[in-house]
Amino acid sequence: MIKTWELDPNFKEEIMNERGGEHLTACFQCSTCTLGCPIIDYVPTYNPRKIIQMSLLGMRKEVLSNPDLWVCLICQTCTARCPQDVRISDLLGAIRRIADKEAEAGKIKIESSRPIFDKAFQHQLAKYGRLYDMGLAKEYYPKREGSFFKGMMAMMNDYKDFGMRMFKKGKMGPKAMFPEKVKDLAVMKKIFEEMGEK
Amino acid sequence: MSVTKLAYYPGCPSDATAMEQDMSTKAVFEKLGVELVEVEDWNCCGAAEVEDPELVYALNARNLAIAEKEGLDIVTPCSICYYNLERSNQALKADEGLRAKVKGIDSSLDYNGKIKAKHVLDVFVNDIGLEELSSKISKKLNLKIAPYYGCYISRPPETGFDDPDDPDTMDKLIELMGGEIVPFSQMKTLCCGGPLMMTRSDIAFDMAMKILDTAKSAGADCIALACPLCGMMLDGKQADIEKALHVEIDMPVVYITQLLGLALGIDANELGLNKNVVDTKDILGKVV
Ligand code: SF4
Ligand code: SF4
Repeated sequence: MIKTWELDPNFKEEIMNERGGEHLTACFQCSTCTLGCPIIDYVPTYNPRKIIQMSLLGMRKEVLSNPDLWVCLICQTCTARCPQDVRISDLLGAIRRIADKEAEAGKIKIESSRPIFDKAFQHQLAKYGRLYDMGLAKEYYPKREGSFFKGMMAMMNDYKDFGMRMFKKGKMGPKAMFPEKVKDLAVMKKIFEEMGEK
Repeated sequence: MSVTKLAYYPGCPSDATAMEQDMSTKAVFEKLGVELVEVEDWNCCGAAEVEDPELVYALNARNLAIAEKEGLDIVTPCSICYYNLERSNQALKADEGLRAKVKGIDSSLDYNGKIKAKHVLDVFVNDIGLEELSSKISKKLNLKIAPYYGCYISRPPETGFDDPDDPDTMDKLIELMGGEIVPFSQMKTLCCGGPLMMTRSDIAFDMAMKILDTAKSAGADCIALACPLCGMMLDGKQADIEKALHVEIDMPVVYITQLLGLALGIDANELGLNKNVVDTKDILGKVV
């Protein structure tokens, strides 16, 4: 049901002001994006066309707290096929960034561990300039599980076989225990301070 | 076109999970007489986890600027790195304001839009060209191969360098090397599930399984691909997928650079063919 008194007429502009969200109003609701999306085989409610429609209507809260935002693969299939060049893959990214800010401000709750993962990933880049897998896992799992101990258990569970496999192939030696660092770390810090989502 | 020297952007998995891709890329270019100059002190491209395009542009402006100072086009074997490098390249070229903003962060991000960003597959097939490659190929791949393209080789259209629904760059290269393409069209460009590996592994595993299973049913000796995240899903995680979904697959997965290396007569160990998780010995026996 649409509660007209809860609609936010400015939501459209809010999305269109984010990079990637510029083409929102070009959508003519043909559903090509949804029908070609690989996720609809797994998540029955998944419907990018509808997310756009709800955004156009101003259903800000429903859109931003929709957990389906976080199962998008960013695979660009929708973008490649859209007859209106809506750039949905990027558009969903723009909506996710608004949702993330809203969650940081405590206004909504996101039912997905994806933002925790993405942030943990970005923290590695800000610190080292390159991906440090161990650092990423050590931040992600405890935050996802809500405690250090549970996090370590979950990490062990996911990684024990995989890690052994990599180790046997010489892909995860003692070197992998330490981060590969960019020499000019000062510039990495600046990039994330100026452009990063804090 | 004669290519003699390129800036090389290896990407983060190059000294870990995808070291065989890095090894084979270097070996192949050397054999082809193309000098690779590694981008000095390169930083991560942002992968799929950095969602803010401006942050991606800033991260990649630094790598592009370093290559530009050398006066070299930049090449990478990773499809995600390619997508980030090239979309940043295009955005920075088109938008002076953006260039100024990025440069304002630090002078090392001062990029003037003078170079191209390329995926290795594009360089092999479209820049060096099949004719020149065929003159250097010394071995035949007696293999049935499932060519897997994944997302960013052909999507989105602005950065993709192949047809989004039916790409054939890799097919052409495989056929040139004597390989046989198995029926695999519906899987070629389907996402491997990699971006959901850490948050929805149930979905990611099933997506990867579909790709592996199709290749198997089609009678492929191996899957050929060109992205370390796809490699991690289809090769590195294959045993986890088998265990979780109670299936047996045992499908070798190799990088296209490894196959090209074999056709060029390069030693298998130099191409890291002992580093792929699913055993590649059966493949090596069919290279004559
Ligand atoms: S394919 Fe494009 S125009 Fe059609 S519903 Fe999706 S976003 Fe709208
Ligand atoms: S980018 Fe997201 S919405 Fe678009 S087709 Fe891929 S998974 Fe579906």
